[in-house]
Amino acid sequence: MNARPGAARPTEAAALNGAAESEFSGQDSARSARLAFWFAGCLAVTLLLTGASLLVGTSSVETSLAWLLAPDAQSSVILWQIRLPRTVGAWFAGALLGLAGAIAQGVFRNRLADPYLLGTASGAALGVTISLLAADASVTALAWAGKLGITAAACIGACAAIALTIVLSRGVLQTASLLLSGIVVAFLLSAVTSLLLLTKPEVWRTMQVFLLGSTGYLSWSSASLLGLVFVICVIPAALLARGLDALSLGEETAQSLGLSLSLLRLSLLGIVSLATASAVGEVGIVGFVGLVAPHLVRETVTVNHRQLLIGAPLVGGALLQAADLASRWIIRPAELPVGAVTACVGGAYLVFLLWRRSRHD
Amino acid sequence: MTNALPSAHRSSPALACRGLAAGYGARVVLAGVNLDVAAGAWTAIVGANGSGKSTLLRTLAGLAPPQAGCVMLQGRPLGAWPRRERARRLAWLAQSAGATDLSAHEVVGLGRFAHGGWLATPSSEDEAAIRRAMLATGSLPWAERRMSTLSGGERQRVYLARVLAVEAPVLLLDEPTTHLDPPHQEDIARLLLAQARGCGVCVVSAIHDLSLALTADRLIVLGRGAVIGHGTVREALAGDWLSAAFRTRVEIVEHDGAHLWRPRLDAPARD
Repeated sequence: MNARPGAARPTEAAALNGAAESEFSGQDSARSARLAFWFAGCLAVTLLLTGASLLVGTSSVETSLAWLLAPDAQSSVILWQIRLPRTVGAWFAGALLGLAGAIAQGVFRNRLADPYLLGTASGAALGVTISLLAADASVTALAWAGKLGITAAACIGACAAIALTIVLSRGVLQTASLLLSGIVVAFLLSAVTSLLLLTKPEVWRTMQVFLLGSTGYLSWSSASLLGLVFVICVIPAALLARGLDALSLGEETAQSLGLSLSLLRLSLLGIVSLATASAVGEVGIVGFVGLVAPHLVRETVTVNHRQLLIGAPLVGGALLQAADLASRWIIRPAELPVGAVTACVGGAYLVFLLWRRSRHD
Repeated sequence: MTNALPSAHRSSPALACRGLAAGYGARVVLAGVNLDVAAGAWTAIVGANGSGKSTLLRTLAGLAPPQAGCVMLQGRPLGAWPRRERARRLAWLAQSAGATDLSAHEVVGLGRFAHGGWLATPSSEDEAAIRRAMLATGSLPWAERRMSTLSGGERQRVYLARVLAVEAPVLLLDEPTTHLDPPHQEDIARLLLAQARGCGVCVVSAIHDLSLALTADRLIVLGRGAVIGHGTVREALAGDWLSAAFRTRVEIVEHDGAHLWRPRLDAPARD
């Protein structure tokens, strides 16, 4: 088929088109340079935050600086086995949440979508609650819970919640039905968690750490796991990014371009599930990072989905690193729950966005 | 009705349907639709609000399953085409597109998706097709602008360029002149005619504006849940299909060889 649209040209703007043609490549390269500068800026901020996180802890900054300059056996353990894996793990967890948020917003074509929309947070909380209650109930269950660990329990709970959401909505094709099912599952599982906790109030305190989010338990093994999951998630996500671009024009348009909508959505929601479940399993329920990171990217630079799916993890990672640093700094030597810090910062940012939009309107 | 197109086209229509019924859930909007739409002509679908123009287009495009009957694309059942192959042969323009943050160039580039796929970077052939389509619709000046910063008319021209960039032999367009001012509507009508007559493309579009629809080569007139008529504009006027479709007397006047709809403001309002 050799239909040539150029054979038919409206009279309008022929001269303008000619001028635009010569400017076209210049604009394209300027945009690429701006984007490269932006990515470099994000990496620089991450490096700065990583350096700062080595200096902030229960000891003073001066002491930490002295440890850095002249490390001994004890300070080496604190710097390289406690603080560094904590900040690296926080970056990967934030990056996973940022990636999941960007994908969720693309799949649902809704800027208010976040990674927890499909009931993952409630599912993870229920998984952890059941694991803690079981460990308290019998020695055999304790052995099983010990083998499984909090992380695995949270992951299983989150994945089960997503599966339940998809079953309830009878597939992934109906956006409204999927969103509604996610809300129903989230409420249902939260109610079950609350009922279970009522039977054993002593488990509540342990659960609080999980529900408020904490980066304090991150080790090299958990940071490595998060890093591995990040690589597993970000590569297919970037490959599917053109599908998200097409989806942004509408579901029917995407279908008409030759996309299998159900396969695309299922693959993308699979990535959201894996990313969210892993992050929640390691750092608990940390709100707003997945919601705010894609917004911050779009507010500062023009991106398509492939660039967004690289930019949102960079911003998400830096955000959680910064929140982790703030949680250690604000009431030092004690610590704030990192989820509380992200909620305050993220909430304030969204209020700022609303204020700016209303002023713009 | 008679088919004014050459017999060669008649023997292998670009798009056809037999005994087609289309609707939503249990609701039947159109039934018993038999059409042969030839290549090399611009066919406009007209009818009253809710007569099923968009429903027919969506079903012909394979975006909604028919309740009965079948759709044939280039002599082969629509469902028998592999998804990507079908997308290369049939391009679709929705009545309204979603809000997107992409640049105009990226949107038009999506028209080449079925030619390249997930991993392919745009080839020089793709870039040439994108440029041709943007030039044809006059949308090249804002190629690098975000869609959210364009006016409704500018956006519509970009979306139309996206459809042209597919370079498909069949174009299905749902209200392609939405949001456009009269001079731009004229440009698009000229473009569609040139696509059809100059490039041999089968162009089918739902058009709300009667005067604009009458500039097409052929009309499909919908009403009372069925096709009232399918033929040339002269056949439609001779048979007074439009009055039957709109259930009121539709007055068309001829001026300098063009057919124009004249509103009858003195006529009593319809129920």
